[in-house]
Amino acid sequence: MQTRDDIVLRVTGVTKYFGDLCALDSVDLSIRRGEIFALLGPNGAGKTTLISIVAGLVRRSSGTVEVMGFDLGKSPLKVRASLGLVPQELNYDPFFTVNEILRFTMGYFGQRPDQQRIDEILEAFDLTDKKHTNTRELSGGMKRRLLIAKALVHNPPVVFLDEPTAGVDVELREELWRYIKRLKEKGTTIVLTTHYLNEAERLADRIGILDKGRLLRTGTKEELLREFGEQVLVFDVDRAPEPFPRSLEALGVKRDNGGTRLIYRYQGGNGRLDEVIDSIRSAGISVRHIEDRHTNLEEVFLKLLGRETGWFQ
Amino acid sequence: MNWVGFETLVWKEIKRFLKVFGQTVLSPVINTLLYLVVFGLSLGAHMPQVAGVRYLDFLVPGLVMLVIINNAFMNTTSSLFISKLQGTIVDLLVAPISNGAVIAAYVFAGVIRALLCGAAVLAAAWLVTDVQVRFPLEVLLYSVLVAAEFALLGIGVAIVADKFEQLNIVLTFFITPLTFLGGVFYSIRVLPEPWQSISKVNPILYMVDGLRHGFVGRSDVSHVHGLALVAFSCSLLVAWNYWLLSHSKKLRP
Repeated sequence: MQTRDDIVLRVTGVTKYFGDLCALDSVDLSIRRGEIFALLGPNGAGKTTLISIVAGLVRRSSGTVEVMGFDLGKSPLKVRASLGLVPQELNYDPFFTVNEILRFTMGYFGQRPDQQRIDEILEAFDLTDKKHTNTRELSGGMKRRLLIAKALVHNPPVVFLDEPTAGVDVELREELWRYIKRLKEKGTTIVLTTHYLNEAERLADRIGILDKGRLLRTGTKEELLREFGEQVLVFDVDRAPEPFPRSLEALGVKRDNGGTRLIYRYQGGNGRLDEVIDSIRSAGISVRHIEDRHTNLEEVFLKLLGRETGWFQ
Repeated sequence: MNWVGFETLVWKEIKRFLKVFGQTVLSPVINTLLYLVVFGLSLGAHMPQVAGVRYLDFLVPGLVMLVIINNAFMNTTSSLFISKLQGTIVDLLVAPISNGAVIAAYVFAGVIRALLCGAAVLAAAWLVTDVQVRFPLEVLLYSVLVAAEFALLGIGVAIVADKFEQLNIVLTFFITPLTFLGGVFYSIRVLPEPWQSISKVNPILYMVDGLRHGFVGRSDVSHVHGLALVAFSCSLLVAWNYWLLSHSKKLRP
């Protein structure tokens, strides 16, 4: 049973206007303790705006945000103390070394710098040999590693990762995914935005799809596929008889490719496969090949955005 | 109160200007000492006493105030504005440090840099002058309060500014002329009317003159009024900075 304590992040009716532009339109979202939640959406959907509002970087126009039971409006410092943020944009302070930056970050969050913890996080993100390097001398990938290390060094219970793997190499992506799973095992709640659907598929317990400021749907991958996904059976046949058997038509089987292909679509476990196969047999249609296709998350994503492609149409 | 956060921010800001010591301390001190050489040792050698004080002794407090004002302002503006440009301001905005503590930390570091520069100018001046400190507490109070005032002004300007050019406008068109016309190099008593009266509208005159009173024991305007003016300005600037940190869309759109 889900109790109030299970919810570490609750966003209620959050709306954000930038001038006349509605960047977020009454978004409601609850995220549970220890969950990995992926926010998916095209550019400009409002993912970064939503994360920035919770992290206190952007002011909301209306609505409420609660993190770990603290209201952002009433206790902003307690909310901020619970968070770690990896911003989308690379930034670096050219005055300091990697080690100094991490010591400052711990301090900002009210923790005395703990060199053992800093060394551990440096090791986790392969930054140990850059420990005393000035941040301006780091490569883009190393700067990204440092941003992630900064967001995690103070052990926040809730971590926001705003496109953390954008433009990074496969090695760092794998390292980060491993680290995210370790954090989840320790009970950390993770909210990530990503353009990579495979990242969401591999990591996320639940997915939220955001478009034009509206949260269209949230659910587990399985729930989304069950609700919006399709199974398609494609039968390559010699030729469908004329007229087309009513029994097949009644089942929703369509002809394609000049009558040499029959297509049967169904959702989840609602297929009437026995009846379709029996009808094909009784119509005397000779089947040469059967192909089973199913929707993947990307196609569900596009369908929800109203941008269906390929065989969805 | 997140004291560790406050301490960290103070230390980070001090460390920041110490990392570029040549640019943030040495260079302004040398520039100011050039004024001492040109106006004090060279031209000053041909000048009579100013209001009963040897010109070199008159000049040194003005130069100390000049370096304090510029460096307190520059420390907070450059640090905050560069953070905004580089995007590292995010680190501060997501940290659980209150607005009051952020203001206090930046001001503290700005005051330290300003006092360091002021002390360096004074130390160098002592090599060539025998300027005395008549009222040490007054010197300290004026130095700290004026440094705090310009550090506070720097925070506000850095938050509001979108371009480097705007920072320079404040420095070039307001602070520098008002400082130069604020009695750093001369006593306003030598000015004819209406310039003497006009000079009294310049708030920096009261700061320069107040500090000078602490050194040489004389002033053109009331040093008590000066102190009240600086304290009042500080309170207004604290309120402005607090409002900016709480409401400005330049930091949190």
